[in-house]
Amino acid sequence: MTIDRVETNKGSAAPIAYVERPLPAVNLGALTLFALVFALLGLGIWEGYWRGVEGIQPSYRNSDSAWTVQRRRISQGEGDATLVIGSSRMLFGFNLDQWQQKTGARPIQLALQGTSPIVVLEDLAKDRSFTGKLLIGVTPGLMFSGRGFRHNVVELAHKETRSQRFGHWLSQRLLEPHFAFYGDDEYALFTILERQAWPQRTGFDLRPRVRKISLSDADRQTRLWDRVERDPSYQALAKQIWSLGWRPIKPEDLEKHHGMIQREIQRAAAAVKTLRARGVPTIFVRLPSAGPFYQYEQATYPRATSWDVLLQASGAPGIHFEDHPSLQGLTLPEYSHLNSHDAKVATEAIAEIIEREALWLR
Amino acid sequence: MLFNSLTFVVFFVLVLALHRMPFGWVVKKFNLLLASYVFYAAWNPPFVLLLWFSTVLDWWAANAIARSENLRRRKALLMVSVLSNLGLLAYFKYGGFVLSNFSLGMQALGLDYQAPVWNIVLPVGISFYTFQTMSYTLDVYLGRAKPANSFLDFALFVTFFPQLVAGPIVRPTDLLPQFVRERVATIEQLCWGFMLMLLGLFEKIVLADGVFAPVSERVFGAATLVHPLDAWLGTMAFSGQIFCDFAGYTTCAIGASLMLGFALPDNFKFPYAAIGFSDFWRRWHISLSTWLRDYLYVPLGGNRHGEVRTYINLMLTMLLGGLWHGAAWTFVVWGGLHGIYLVLERGLRARFGELAVWRTALGQVSLMLLTYSLVCITWVFFRATDFASAWRMLQAMLGLDRSGAAVLSSYLVLSALVGVGGLLSTHWYMRDRELHQLAARTPAWLLGIALGSMLLLILITQGEGSAFIYFQF
Repeated sequence: MTIDRVETNKGSAAPIAYVERPLPAVNLGALTLFALVFALLGLGIWEGYWRGVEGIQPSYRNSDSAWTVQRRRISQGEGDATLVIGSSRMLFGFNLDQWQQKTGARPIQLALQGTSPIVVLEDLAKDRSFTGKLLIGVTPGLMFSGRGFRHNVVELAHKETRSQRFGHWLSQRLLEPHFAFYGDDEYALFTILERQAWPQRTGFDLRPRVRKISLSDADRQTRLWDRVERDPSYQALAKQIWSLGWRPIKPEDLEKHHGMIQREIQRAAAAVKTLRARGVPTIFVRLPSAGPFYQYEQATYPRATSWDVLLQASGAPGIHFEDHPSLQGLTLPEYSHLNSHDAKVATEAIAEIIEREALWLR
Repeated sequence: MLFNSLTFVVFFVLVLALHRMPFGWVVKKFNLLLASYVFYAAWNPPFVLLLWFSTVLDWWAANAIARSENLRRRKALLMVSVLSNLGLLAYFKYGGFVLSNFSLGMQALGLDYQAPVWNIVLPVGISFYTFQTMSYTLDVYLGRAKPANSFLDFALFVTFFPQLVAGPIVRPTDLLPQFVRERVATIEQLCWGFMLMLLGLFEKIVLADGVFAPVSERVFGAATLVHPLDAWLGTMAFSGQIFCDFAGYTTCAIGASLMLGFALPDNFKFPYAAIGFSDFWRRWHISLSTWLRDYLYVPLGGNRHGEVRTYINLMLTMLLGGLWHGAAWTFVVWGGLHGIYLVLERGLRARFGELAVWRTALGQVSLMLLTYSLVCITWVFFRATDFASAWRMLQAMLGLDRSGAAVLSSYLVLSALVGVGGLLSTHWYMRDRELHQLAARTPAWLLGIALGSMLLLILITQGEGSAFIYFQF
C-alpha cells in the first residue's frame, strides 16, 4: 500500500492524503477473462438444463413492474379502457385475446395472484382518470379475507422510480424473451434449494409456497402452465398445496370470521359505489372452482353470506358460474384454475352474458 | 439507482465509456458530475435541489472562512454551514420523530396535543452527504484542508455517484486532490475494480438477500414469541445480512470508483473478527466511526479530561451515532449499548490490563465470539421495529421464555448455520489480511473459478433488486 505524502499539489490547495488502492500482483486481465468465460459457460449449462431437461421456454415475468406498467396505462390516455382485477382465477382464467376478438377492445389485466382485489379496487376508486369499465374477479378465500401477498404493487405503481421503470423495460427486451431460466423466480437458485426434500424440523408447521402454475405475456395476458394441464404428478402437487390451506374455521373463531367477511364486503361496496357514482360500470365475476376446493369455499364462505351480500351492498351486478350453464362443465386441472382452452370459453361466455343481460348498463 | 439493477449496468457502461474517451479532463469531470446527478435523480429528481443547496452553501461558507481572519466571523460562517446541513437533516429525517415525541410528552403532562401528520419523504443518502459536506467546512475551519480551487471539483466531491448515497463518507483530502489531475484507470485497475464490484454484488445479492434475509425476515416478522434457537439464528442471520448488504454496497462503490480511476478508502475490515468493541469500531463503518471520533468525540474532549468525562464523551458519541442511523429510540438504544460496551471495556482494561490468557489462540477466539454475541444483542434493537418486539426477541435469546414457536424450516436453520459459520470463519481468517494479498497468494486458476462462480451465482440467484438497507439512513 502506498501513501502519497506530497503536501501540496499543483492546482489544488488541499493536501493530498488519499491512499491509492493496492492491486494484487497477478495477471488481472487474464483472470477477468477466465472468470467471465467460466461464468458464461456455467450460465450456458444452466440455461441448457432448464430448456433441455425441464422443457422450459423463455416467458415474461409476472413481476411487480409488469403490473405497474399496466396500471399506468390508465393515466396515459387509456382511462376509458376495460380493466380486469381479481386474483389468480381472473388472471389465468380471463383471456384478453378472446375478449378483444369478441368485443373489439383489449382490456388491461390488473389481477394479482394470491391477492384480494380490494386494495386495487380502492386505488381505482380514488383515481379520477379511470372512467372505463371494471370486471372484478371474486375468489372467496381472498376477496372476503382481504389477504394477499402482492398488495405492495399498488403503492409501487405510484412511487416507482425512473430507474426501476427503465430496468423493467430492459428486462422485457434483453432478458425475458431470451432466457428460460429468467422467466420465473421458480428457477432462482434459493427457491430451488428451499424446495429440496429437507428433513422436517419437529414442531415446525411447514406451508409450502405455491408452485409455478402460469405463463405470462408482456402485457400480463396469462394462462395456466402447460405442465399443470398435462402432468398428473404436477397437478397432484398443486392440489396438495391447495389442500394445506383448507383449514376449517374453529367454532371460537366463527364470529371473528363473519366480522371479517362483513368488513371486506363493506370496503369493496364503498369503492364500487364511488366508481359507479362516477359512471364506471362494474361487474363482479365468480369463476368456477371444483372438487374439494369448491366444497371448502362453500363451507367457509357460503354464497348467501358472502357473494349475495356483496352484490346487494354494492348495488353492482354479478356473474356467478353457478347461475350460467355456459360457465359450467369446464376443466380445472388443479380444482382452482381453468385450463387455457376453457379460459377462452369462459371469457367468451362472460362477454355474451354481459351483452345478453346488458350488465354494463345496470 | 441501485448497483444491483440492470439500469445501473447500462448507466455504468455508458459512464465508463465516456470517461475513457479522448475528452479534456474538465469535460470528463463535468460528465461525471452530470452522471452523478442523473444517478441521484433516478430516485426522486426534486431532491437534486438539496444536493445543490448543500454544494453551493458549503462552497461559499468554506471560501469565506478561508478568506477571513476574523475568528468571530469564521465561527459564524461555520455555524451557518453546520446548522444548515443539520437543519436539512433534522427537517427531513427527524421532524416526525420530534413531533411524535413532543406529542407523547404533552400527553404525559395531561395536555391533549395531537401532532400534525408528518408526511415528508426522506431523501436517500441525506445522512451521508450532509456529513461529507460538513466535514469539508469543518476541515477548512480547523485548517486541516484548504478550500477546493474549482467549483466543479467541489461539486463532484459532494456528488460523486459511487459513494453518494451510502458512503464511504469521504473527507475532502480523500477525494478532492484526485480531481486535480486526469485519472483514468489502467487495465489492472479496471479489472480489479470489476472484481471488487463482483464481490460486492455477490455479498448483496447472494449472501445478504439470498442466504440471510429470508431467515431474519421470518424471525423478525413473526408477530409472536419465537423459539430460542430461532431467535438466535434470526439475529445472527441479521448480523450477516446487514454486514453483507452494507459492505457489499461499499465494496461496489470502491470497485466502481477504481474502474473510473479513483481510490476510495476502506469502510469495513472484517468486523466480526473484532476482539473487543474498540476493535469492532475500527473495523465497522470506519468512515462514520472516524467521522464521529474526529468531529464529535475529540471536540467533546475525548479522553483528555479524566475517566468520567471520557465515559460521558463515549456515551454521547455512541448515542448520537445511534440516532444518526434512524429517527427511532431503538437506534438510540443500539448506540447506547455500544457506548456501554466501550465504557466497560475501557474500564476493565484499566483495572485488569491485558491478561496473558487472552493472548492465547483459544483466548482470542473466545473473546471474538463474546464480542460477536454481544454485538448480536445490539442488532436486535437495530432490526426490531419497536421495543415490544425487541423485548420478545431478547426474552427468547436469553432463555427467559422458551415457549416460543419454531418459525424456521430445517432449510432456513441450515442456511443460517452455514451462512453465519462461513462468515465468521472468513472474518477470522482475514482478520489481519487484506483482499489483494489473499488474491496474490491464491493460485490463479482457483481465483478465476471463485470469481466466475460468484458471477454465475449472482446471475442465477435472480435478485429482486431490493434496496440496500443503509439507503434508508
